Amino acid sequence: MSEKEVILSIRDLYVNFYTYAGVVRAINGVDLDIYKGEVFGLVGETGCGKSVTSRAITRLITPPGRIEKGEIFYKRNSEVIDLLKIPDEEIRKIRGDEISYIFQDPTSSLDPLYTSGFQIAETMVVHDKAEWNEAWKKAVELLKETLIPDPESRVKNYPHELSGGMRQRVVISIALSNDPKILIADEPTTNVDVTVQAELMDLLKELQRKKGTTIILITHHMGLIAELTERVGVMYAGNLVEIAKVEELFENPLHPYTQGLMAAVPNPLQKIERLIPIKGSVPNLIYPPPGCRFHPRCPKAMPICKEKRPPRIEVSPGHFVECWLYVSEEEWEGKNNE
Amino acid sequence: MAGMGRYLVRRAITFIPTVFGVLFITFTIAFLMPADPARVWAGGQKASPQVVEKIRKMYHLDEPFWAQFYYFTRAILTNSIYSPVTHNLVSEEFMRRIPITLNLAIMAMFMIVAMGIPMGIVAALKKDTAVDNAVRILALIGYSTPSFWIAFIFMWVFYNELGWMTLVGLPRPSEMITGIYILDALLLGEWKIFIEINRRLLLPAFILAFILVGGLARYVRNTMLDVLSADFILFAQAKGLPPFRLWRHALKNSLIPVVTVVFFMFGGLLSGAIITETVFGIPGLGVLYFAAISNLDIPVIVLSTLYAGLIVVIISLIVDILYALIDPRVRL
Ligand SMILES: Nc1ncnc2c1ncn2[C@@H]1O[C@H](COP(=O)(O)OP(=O)(O)OP(=O)(O)O)[C@@H](O)[C@H]1O
Ligand code: SF4
Ligand SMILES: [Mg+2]
Repeated sequence: MSEKEVILSIRDLYVNFYTYAGVVRAINGVDLDIYKGEVFGLVGETGCGKSVTSRAITRLITPPGRIEKGEIFYKRNSEVIDLLKIPDEEIRKIRGDEISYIFQDPTSSLDPLYTSGFQIAETMVVHDKAEWNEAWKKAVELLKETLIPDPESRVKNYPHELSGGMRQRVVISIALSNDPKILIADEPTTNVDVTVQAELMDLLKELQRKKGTTIILITHHMGLIAELTERVGVMYAGNLVEIAKVEELFENPLHPYTQGLMAAVPNPLQKIERLIPIKGSVPNLIYPPPGCRFHPRCPKAMPICKEKRPPRIEVSPGHFVECWLYVSEEEWEGKNNE
Repeated sequence: MAGMGRYLVRRAITFIPTVFGVLFITFTIAFLMPADPARVWAGGQKASPQVVEKIRKMYHLDEPFWAQFYYFTRAILTNSIYSPVTHNLVSEEFMRRIPITLNLAIMAMFMIVAMGIPMGIVAALKKDTAVDNAVRILALIGYSTPSFWIAFIFMWVFYNELGWMTLVGLPRPSEMITGIYILDALLLGEWKIFIEINRRLLLPAFILAFILVGGLARYVRNTMLDVLSADFILFAQAKGLPPFRLWRHALKNSLIPVVTVVFFMFGGLLSGAIITETVFGIPGLGVLYFAAISNLDIPVIVLSTLYAGLIVVIISLIVDILYALIDPRVRL
């Protein structure tokens, strides 16, 4: 892996939710590059902004949410477009075609009033990939590829007639129907049992190997991260606090939050429910802590942490961290005078 | 729909206890009323004791509760219930009047749906704006305004001042097809009669509609907002569906709960018709019922309530069948 090509780069992304209780500052300046053909993992406690970040990529933020600012550059063949600036119709054409999603809860992702075949075929038809007749035939093919038994009759089933695992396969078929360049899988295996989980993951792995699809995998499962991903981003309270190659992250976590996370999950096959060694809980994002958002819970917090947001430092090639501990004295001065 | 026939039979059987329950409860309430119906039927205070006594015997009013209930039920089954006040066969009277009330209710329902559903959709789209608040206020006014009061205001404006409406007579089309005047006039293409029926019934129908239209609009709005925030709509968006397709998914899903409410509103309209018909002097069921209450005409009161119960049961049957047709999750 020498010269890697960036397919997606998120710059300075801010997303707010305007609720009755106040403005939820959910995504607070996220920078991230995704390389073509890689599997990138995104981890973090519940509510830290993984789903919102991934949805913001194709502007799937609905009121009361709003993308405040930022740029999301998408490299398509030789041109680079900012997904946050293009017209609605353009982003509509990219969704489900070049960039597709598998959402967190598969059981509620399907419209209960239409057959699974219709919902798969529809995805191809709206992107002019096929006429209805042909799309139906392709739907059967896709279900076969996702290992649904008896796909010819399954296409005629309504979602309530399918098991949770099968519904998830239908959702995956929809996501794969137009051969996406980027697949965003948001906890694709929650709510299905363990054996089905493993099968679905093999399916994604296979896909990535065969077609070179870029995958962003959001999960609570450190096991899946270890097994499937090449690089990992760790989110905390709307910030991407550390990015590293997966081995590097497991062996040498730099951010105190990541360290806590690793300590909390001695066995990477365990699910992160709660971080026992890190006291306190995720802050209220309406009144986020000033400076480093992690400081109220950080065992290594220093005075500056309460005042100024830490800059992003590349500690070693490809290993980024947002923490004052890794800012050298002279840089510190520099940052302070900015 | 192979199961439809079997389903209908099964449902028809469950009708029997429901209808019998309605009969028993209304009859019991009527029986417990602290009044002497025989005296009222004989002509009130001035009635001679002999006549009162004769009436009491004739209607078994001197017998215990169970005997009275038995005679009444038997009379229903043999279709021999006569009003002691008007001396008409009640079922005949009912059949004569029901098309008129249904006519009024159908017109009102048409207006409620034609106005309420678009209003609800717009309110959902323009959530928390002036439009949404206007619908909210309309619903509140509809619920809380006495219908007779609006009726008088409207009469004054549209009849006295503008003269657009008539307040007497109800023209009939030359033939009966469905039995509902306005539909038959439409089917026969008798436009003059159609317009006349509208001049007579549009105002009362609108008043009935006015009470409920805001409520339906609010219901449509809330259902629509629920559906729009459902995961599958976001996923449909993530699939790259164009707006008209998103709308199709959203509307079809919103339709299902709305169908139920619309049909049950129909039941509400029939009871709402009592006051409106009385105020406008429309010879429908409402007037019959109103008169029966004023005259302590117990057979008519009990039987009308029974018919109303039957209508509600039939409506719920229609709702079930419609559900099975539009919602794949429901099997009969
Ligand atoms: N519709 C909404 N209204 C208000 N706040 C929202 C909304 N959606 C998300 N948020 C806020 O955005 C933040 C990030 O949410 P997000 O769903 O991205 O978390 P997540 O990391 O995906 O969590 P999980 O692991 O539970 O899926 C949360 O703190 C939440 O409060
Ligand atoms: S910046 Fe300070 S508070 Fe934040 S993680 Fe680093 S040491 Fe802890
Ligand atoms: Mg999430």
